[in-house]
Amino acid sequence: MTTPPPLRIRAAGATHPGRVRDNNEDCLLIEQNLGLFGVFDGMGGHHAGEVASATARDAVRDAVRDAKGATHFVEREALEAALQQASVVVHAESSRRKARRGMGTTAVLAQVGGTNTVTVAHVGDSRAYLLRDGRLQVLTADHTIVAELLARGALDPDEARTHPYRAVLSRNLGAAPETRPEFCHVQLQAGDRLLLCSDGLSTFASHRAIEQTLAGAGDPDTTAKELIELALKGGGGDNVTAVVIEAGRKEVPRRTQIIRTSGANAWWSQRDLFLQQAAARDIARSPICAVLSPGEAVDIVAGNLCEAIYRDLEQTTGIHVWTYAENLVAGWLDQDGDFAVVRDLLDRLASAADAVVEHIGATHFDMGALLGLAVPRALLVAELASGGMISKRLREVEAQIVEAQSALAASESFSENVTVPIDVPRADPPSPAVARCLDAALELALADARTHKRPREDGIVADCLERAHKAARDHGGQLDGMLAARELFGTCALGEPAIAPLLDALDRARLTHVSAVKRAPGDDACRAAALRRIATAHRMLCSSTARIVVDGGSSVTDRHREMLEQISLLRRKVADNERRIQTLEGRYKTQPGWAPPRGEA
Amino acid sequence: MNVDLADRIAALRDEVLDTVERGEQGALNGEIFDATLRCLVAFEATDPGIDLALHDALSRRLAWGDSEHALLAEADEVCERLLASARRALREPSEEMLVVEAVTQIACTAARIVANAAIARAGTDRAAVLREQAALKRLREAVARQQEELARLGDPLAE
Repeated sequence: MTTPPPLRIRAAGATHPGRVRDNNEDCLLIEQNLGLFGVFDGMGGHHAGEVASATARDAVRDAVRDAKGATHFVEREALEAALQQASVVVHAESSRRKARRGMGTTAVLAQVGGTNTVTVAHVGDSRAYLLRDGRLQVLTADHTIVAELLARGALDPDEARTHPYRAVLSRNLGAAPETRPEFCHVQLQAGDRLLLCSDGLSTFASHRAIEQTLAGAGDPDTTAKELIELALKGGGGDNVTAVVIEAGRKEVPRRTQIIRTSGANAWWSQRDLFLQQAAARDIARSPICAVLSPGEAVDIVAGNLCEAIYRDLEQTTGIHVWTYAENLVAGWLDQDGDFAVVRDLLDRLASAADAVVEHIGATHFDMGALLGLAVPRALLVAELASGGMISKRLREVEAQIVEAQSALAASESFSENVTVPIDVPRADPPSPAVARCLDAALELALADARTHKRPREDGIVADCLERAHKAARDHGGQLDGMLAARELFGTCALGEPAIAPLLDALDRARLTHVSAVKRAPGDDACRAAALRRIATAHRMLCSSTARIVVDGGSSVTDRHREMLEQISLLRRKVADNERRIQTLEGRYKTQPGWAPPRGEA
Repeated sequence: MNVDLADRIAALRDEVLDTVERGEQGALNGEIFDATLRCLVAFEATDPGIDLALHDALSRRLAWGDSEHALLAEADEVCERLLASARRALREPSEEMLVVEAVTQIACTAARIVANAAIARAGTDRAAVLREQAALKRLREAVARQQEELARLGDPLAE
């Protein structure tokens, strides 16, 4: 077995305090001669975090340098010893000064060995990533309480994203003399890139954005700076540090790139055939092409689709076909066109594309098979885009309907709405004795209410008493409490200061009324009957008032829910736009012939 | 203290809460019934524990996701059933009056507790709405900035 030739290792790093913090508690370690790279994210008030991360960095560097000088050097053992040593030093420093008590740091280290292996060690939530063949994977598992709960299945990913303890570390370096690092080994291949970063990057930039930036053509120095920019664009809410390590460099294009390009070229070489096939399928007679001459129709409608498919095949994206289909459908729907026409046109174009792919397959079987998958995929994107446009239009129409309904509702006055059930259940009328008892109770209760000498409150109490009395006389207490409660409620604001006096008045009215019934003339049976009616009326009044308050509160809750939906939509839009910006920027970076347009940044 | 009357009303529990017909799971909740019993036991003495216990029980149900409307409807139903059962079971009008008074007091207290809970929820939601309005504003600004950036980069989808 032969030892592989050592890959040329290039590394660079960058760090930034971020947009929120004044100081930078992160620090980085790049020791090209030792093959040692690292990122440290310190924590602790009064600049203690800066001290912790710098102390740990120096201790690790010194320990590894000493170990390299020894005859027997094993990467894992050296890193473990270095981290333990760093933890002891940081802890001792923290114990020495009161202002630095509790300081600590995370650490992620990469030690490149002679046989192109790399040993990664980490403590805390600083991460190591590996980019291989354009795919980014995380090599480390965050040492946070939430990550451990997630790993145990005690939380799901959605809960973890919003968990209040998502930033609380379960392990760090310096809080105690001992620390428990975690290790992994990677066999490097030419073209691999390793990224070591603090959580300021992994929190404020998406996995995909990091992947695209790391896969860009820039050298490690440029890439590290771009990653910092990425985190700052994403909010820059924390210190951010990135170290990019590149193993060798592949100068030859990858196999997938060759296949991609040749597939796209094969498709583009048959452009004329595609236009002929489209013309043969009468796409010029589609109502969408009504304002174009037959030649223009084929050139514009079929030609643009052909080009969009070519670009998407070349770049392995769907954005060009998506844009083409959206423009086509939006333009047609703006003219109040029927969706069936779009459907028919897309079917004809898909049929023309099938014929072209079949033709290519007849001469080059492999290429035909490749395009037989790729071209229908591109056309599926067109279907999705047109479906999206339809759904967007439906939402617009729905919003218009809701607006029209609201305007209609606002134009009606309260009395025009039927809010009172017509069929109010009525009990038997009270017997003359019970009626007398009720009347007497009202007189007594009103007299009692007036003795408090608080005119405004007494007024409300008297109002409650009269409404309850009327209900007890007319309906046996079973009045439509909602109507009476609404009139009592008036235009109260939905808040405790406004509603509490009304609820107090209802309580006082009930107690006064019940007490008055007990003192009213008549026998026990008569008073019991009167009390049943009065009690029911008051109960309905209270319950209906509570319902009005609940309904008032529900409108605020509904509004809140609507706003959360809007925010969710906007967040998705922001994420989409960010991806689109990344794609466009990536295009300018990777294609030498293209230059970004001039304009105000 | 009116323990005897409370005991006789307690015997009506299954009938009032409809335990036999609806089963243990579907039966009406007993908060209103239990509070009424405590009210009868306390008689004319003041017992703040009744309000606190009722408040605690209703708050727990709201916290478990029952709607305010459901609580009010259930309280109405329990009161109706309790009054009807008590009227049939008690022969003395004076005793029935005590039960009517207790039921009404508990029902009104429950309505007040629910109303206060709704006010508190509305206050929280109103504060949340203000917060979300600020977030919406920031997001709209972010989208506008991104659209400018997209336009600068020549994105055909930029609005």
